[in-house]
Amino acid sequence: MTAYTVSMEHIPPLLELWAKEYDVHVPVRDVDGFVNFSPWRPSAEIAWDYDVAYNSLKRFFLPPREDLLRFDLAASTAEPVMEAPLQLLFGVHPYDVKAINQLDQLMDQGTADVNYRKRREATVLVALTPEHVSDLAFWSSVGADSVDIGFDMYFTRISPSSFYVEVLSPKGEELLLARGELPRSTLPEREAAKRKKAAIRAKADKNGISFPWKQTPKLMSRHWDSPLWRNKARHCLSCGSCVMVCPTCYCFDVREEADLDLKGGRRFREWDGCMLPSFALVAGDHNFRPEARDRYRHRYFRKGKYIFDKIGELGCVGCGRCVNACTTGIANPMAVFNDLWEADNHES
Amino acid sequence: MSPKNNFSTYAPRPATLVKKEKLSDLVSLFEFEQDNGKALAHKPGQFIMLSIYGIGEAPFSVSSAPEAGNARFELAVRKTGTVTNALHDLKEGTKVGIRGPYGSYFPVQKFMGKDTLFVAGGLGYIPLRSLLRYQLKHRDEYGRIIVLLGTRNPKERIFVDRLAQLKERTDMEIHETVDVPDKNWKGNVGVITTLFPKVEINPQNTFVAMVGPPIMYRFCIGPCMDKGIPSKHIYVSLERRMKCGLGKCGHCQINGLSACVEGPVFKYDDIAPLSEAI
Repeated sequence: MTAYTVSMEHIPPLLELWAKEYDVHVPVRDVDGFVNFSPWRPSAEIAWDYDVAYNSLKRFFLPPREDLLRFDLAASTAEPVMEAPLQLLFGVHPYDVKAINQLDQLMDQGTADVNYRKRREATVLVALTPEHVSDLAFWSSVGADSVDIGFDMYFTRISPSSFYVEVLSPKGEELLLARGELPRSTLPEREAAKRKKAAIRAKADKNGISFPWKQTPKLMSRHWDSPLWRNKARHCLSCGSCVMVCPTCYCFDVREEADLDLKGGRRFREWDGCMLPSFALVAGDHNFRPEARDRYRHRYFRKGKYIFDKIGELGCVGCGRCVNACTTGIANPMAVFNDLWEADNHES
Repeated sequence: MSPKNNFSTYAPRPATLVKKEKLSDLVSLFEFEQDNGKALAHKPGQFIMLSIYGIGEAPFSVSSAPEAGNARFELAVRKTGTVTNALHDLKEGTKVGIRGPYGSYFPVQKFMGKDTLFVAGGLGYIPLRSLLRYQLKHRDEYGRIIVLLGTRNPKERIFVDRLAQLKERTDMEIHETVDVPDKNWKGNVGVITTLFPKVEINPQNTFVAMVGPPIMYRFCIGPCMDKGIPSKHIYVSLERRMKCGLGKCGHCQINGLSACVEGPVFKYDDIAPLSEAI
């Protein structure tokens, strides 16, 4: 992979240039101390040292609410809506790139979801090696500590004033060099980047699931009837917060509304969640997952088994967002997986 | 896998309601014609997504048999929610939107030369009717056709006249029951399982096609196997809430499977290990 060394002072003018063509989003710390990806402004102070952004990046590809159709009520006809603004996400941590790579596979599998695909193709992803690890994160233990696809550029800070930047795509290279040639990285710089990545991984290794993550699907299969589901779900408020902040949850509902003039209207999809009580409700009031326990278990089976069965990876990248969002303290996938693993060892 | 031009997976194509016929108090038969003049090209057991703009979109099993060159197809629908209520209010000639057909189907080729035992509970007869009509159209290619049909009460029976005609046929048999009779009902009384002892079958040569309310599968799969029908010969159609029809939205998941893609028609062996299936 080609790599360039980019000085810190080179970055604001680059962002300014990119912002002429793209909606550029960068991690910014708000007044309450939460970091979120926000539209870049010349005055924006990039939170270089952020550990995790409060909200995931799925909204850039699967917005919380997205129009799918515009329809004409009188003619009973509909036109597809596919919006895909050019966007550049700058400073995305590897576990979040991993989450997007998963969504890519899931949305492309079988019949491709064109609305998702168009947004994805209109996006430039700039990855960034984290400087800090959230106390709640466990990404290094679930195979989400590094990525080698899905991004266009990958920044690693190698000194207070410089970055080692790998370019993966022609688009990434073109954008990085948009203000002129940059020096190719030297061997010592590459080594520095390697050390930086290893150091952050070592920090991340302090928290994690206590067994090889590839064993999770088998572990789950053994525990469908575990008392854990009821014990945890007893505290579940079925609020869906864990689902909303999750970077790999992609369930949605499809609804529609007529315009006020009753001439036309729109059909849209919006985020839904398998933790919400009406998720599996059908006509005749039959609910296939009536209890919080059913829904809670289903979510962890998706994360630990069903997604794995589809793409060979855990449906959890260990970002820890759900742990933070859950008000009753039950939404920690690491705790769920580790508890089940322990239960096995105690039995044997 | 980049999508070409502006084709949207979520955009329905137009069809017109050409005929409406009441089947019971709450169920009507709707005949549609695709505006593009092409056959729906569905397979028995598949479903479509039907849109009534301004109201919504919902999945419905196709009740007619596939027929090359015929742009018409039938749905039988019970009035129960917003889309189905609006559908019942539509006038003939109204345009709707459709997507699909989607999902898996009854393996009509595998059934060839074999006997078929239909087990239909209530509205489960609607998707099974597609298979039944297909087999009757290709009557020579199939062995015995035996239909077990259970309904809650005589008032809720659907396709009553057509069933009477089918009962006249000598190349198939229909056994009907109602859970609760009225004073005019002369047939069998009891749940559908009471029909199993009434039929003689050659189990090794018989395939089962079963559709009914969720509770029915639990009580009907056992009697099929008790009769000696191999479990791999049993096919069921499981319905769930479907929103996208493409295996994305997550609503219709049965454990790790999507009822809209891997289903709705499943081989019993494939779903037997799944705790959420039946």
